[in-house]
Amino acid sequence: MTTPRTSPSRDDSTTGDETQEVESPTDDVDTETALGREPAFQVADRQPLSTLLGRPVVVGVLLLALSVLVVPIVTTFVSSFARTATGALPTGFVTLEHWRYVLGFGEYGVRANAIPGLTFSVGIATAGMLLNVLIGVPVAYALSRYEFYARDWVNTLAILPLVPGVILGIAFLRTYPERGGSALGLVVGYCLLKSPYMVLTVQSSFQSMDLRHLEESARSLGASWPRALLTVIFPHAKQGILAGCIITWTLAAAEFNFTYMVHTGDPKPFSLFLFRNISNAPYLQSAAAISIYFLIVVVAILVLQTIGNSGFTTVRE
Amino acid sequence: MSVRLSIGDSIRQALSSVHTVVFPTTERERERRRIAIMTIPFFVLAIFAGFVPLATMLRMSLSEEQLFNEGWSVDAWETLATDRTYWWIGFNTLWFAAAATLVSVAIGVVVAHALEKYSLPFERVIVAAVSFPIALPGIVVAFMIVVLLGRQGLLTQTVAFFSGRSAIDLATATTIGGLFLGYVYSLIPRATMILRGTYAEVNTDAEEAARSLGASPFETFRHVTFPEIRPGIVAGAILVFRSALAIFGTVLILQGGFVVVTLRIDRELAVGFNSQIAAAIGVVYVAFLIAFTFIGLRFVRAEQVAI
Repeated sequence: MTTPRTSPSRDDSTTGDETQEVESPTDDVDTETALGREPAFQVADRQPLSTLLGRPVVVGVLLLALSVLVVPIVTTFVSSFARTATGALPTGFVTLEHWRYVLGFGEYGVRANAIPGLTFSVGIATAGMLLNVLIGVPVAYALSRYEFYARDWVNTLAILPLVPGVILGIAFLRTYPERGGSALGLVVGYCLLKSPYMVLTVQSSFQSMDLRHLEESARSLGASWPRALLTVIFPHAKQGILAGCIITWTLAAAEFNFTYMVHTGDPKPFSLFLFRNISNAPYLQSAAAISIYFLIVVVAILVLQTIGNSGFTTVRE
Repeated sequence: MSVRLSIGDSIRQALSSVHTVVFPTTERERERRRIAIMTIPFFVLAIFAGFVPLATMLRMSLSEEQLFNEGWSVDAWETLATDRTYWWIGFNTLWFAAAATLVSVAIGVVVAHALEKYSLPFERVIVAAVSFPIALPGIVVAFMIVVLLGRQGLLTQTVAFFSGRSAIDLATATTIGGLFLGYVYSLIPRATMILRGTYAEVNTDAEEAARSLGASPFETFRHVTFPEIRPGIVAGAILVFRSALAIFGTVLILQGGFVVVTLRIDRELAVGFNSQIAAAIGVVYVAFLIAFTFIGLRFVRAEQVAI
């Protein structure tokens, strides 16, 4: 189950498709006209433009989009090891100076580096993730397994964040003036903001199982309902739960909008460290600060892929 | 008197239904208790972290005092209704988000099509790379745009090198164009991932039939594939538009001389702490988002929702 997925069946069908693309149209048109029927589609004598250009254009757009998305990420990561960035391309490789600075090694001050904020954010994100497991898994189960009054409304509420971070932030500060910006406030806020990711991934795990059947088998073998849930149903959904954990954790570790609105005091969360670097620091130092988070995301995606997700998304294959 | 009686009756009824949920006797009642047990943690979170703060925000917009909720005043709402600036901000937010959604979904369709229909090398790597920006907070997306279009940006420097013009004049990261690219940068991955889910369900037999009946690849897409993925496109557009409206960090860094709702809320608080107006904008925003979501979802099947 946990082996990396390859899709031999689809590859076969696509290559089969390509051979057809070349040969079949002319053959079929002959039979159609021979039988005196109207062909289903107008066929020009020469090759249609989209046969010649379709694939190159589509692949071209893919490559363009891919490079716009990836090139800045790679450039940022590579620049973080460069000495100067005055020209078109950063030069003077390889130095670890910027990494040492953002990670707080050497003679630099303690407060300027990422470690206190990162430690704080990792703690908050982990607490939010655990709270999300306790809240998201049961509600995903109820929504997948039972029919009940206003189920669709509850579903919408659970899978779509109805409040964006900025606005939840102001509302939080006024509602909980003492606690809104504290660690507890951040945990609860992250939990609500990221809960849809958990509910969606767990739900898609549940949807691929015959929940009623599983539950009834376990119950008829003598398991109580809580035991059936905890030892049979939930373990079956562990891939979805794990994927939800990784996604909610990673997003919470660098959540900015809500944090920016509510947080005051020390230690500053990691996202505020990033903000200070991006808005007000030398280019190469910002690059190193951001690269710390890139490394976290890369690890998250690798783990997600080994448990069957295609990438950093709740959509499963 | 009859009214009071019926209120008493309904209270009694409600109590008895609570009683059956807590102490069930039939299997059906036990099932209800289970549903309650499984959904209560979520409701507690939604109420204390969501609904109570939102209600407080509504009260905040009507508060006479600036620093805490006290007294009543509709000044903020009057300002919001009469001051044209706010109407323009709302309008700007909507068209900008709509345009970015349109571009992102269009590109998302093409990328998802390429990934699903062609056997490309390194497909797993490509999918992972396209999904990567979903994890990035808005401020990091802004930095990515600076890397491309800033004064030292790759594109800026390339154009400057070939045209011989000054890179400082060519930098567009902090203009409306740079901001648009920032929006598209964070939205393309979401659109693509949603549409990949849709493409996975497309019936390939019909496409092969169309091709073998002589349809060109474009005709096949137009008449066979497109009708099948249309629901996914609608779902994707709704979800991507929602994400576009919530963008804040990217605008905060890039500015672009362009004010959207989320940035304006921040400005109201940062300059003069106009908490009532900020809250009123927030209330309008959330009301719009909820209405849009529930109307939008009428056109979408539940299993197409993904983020």
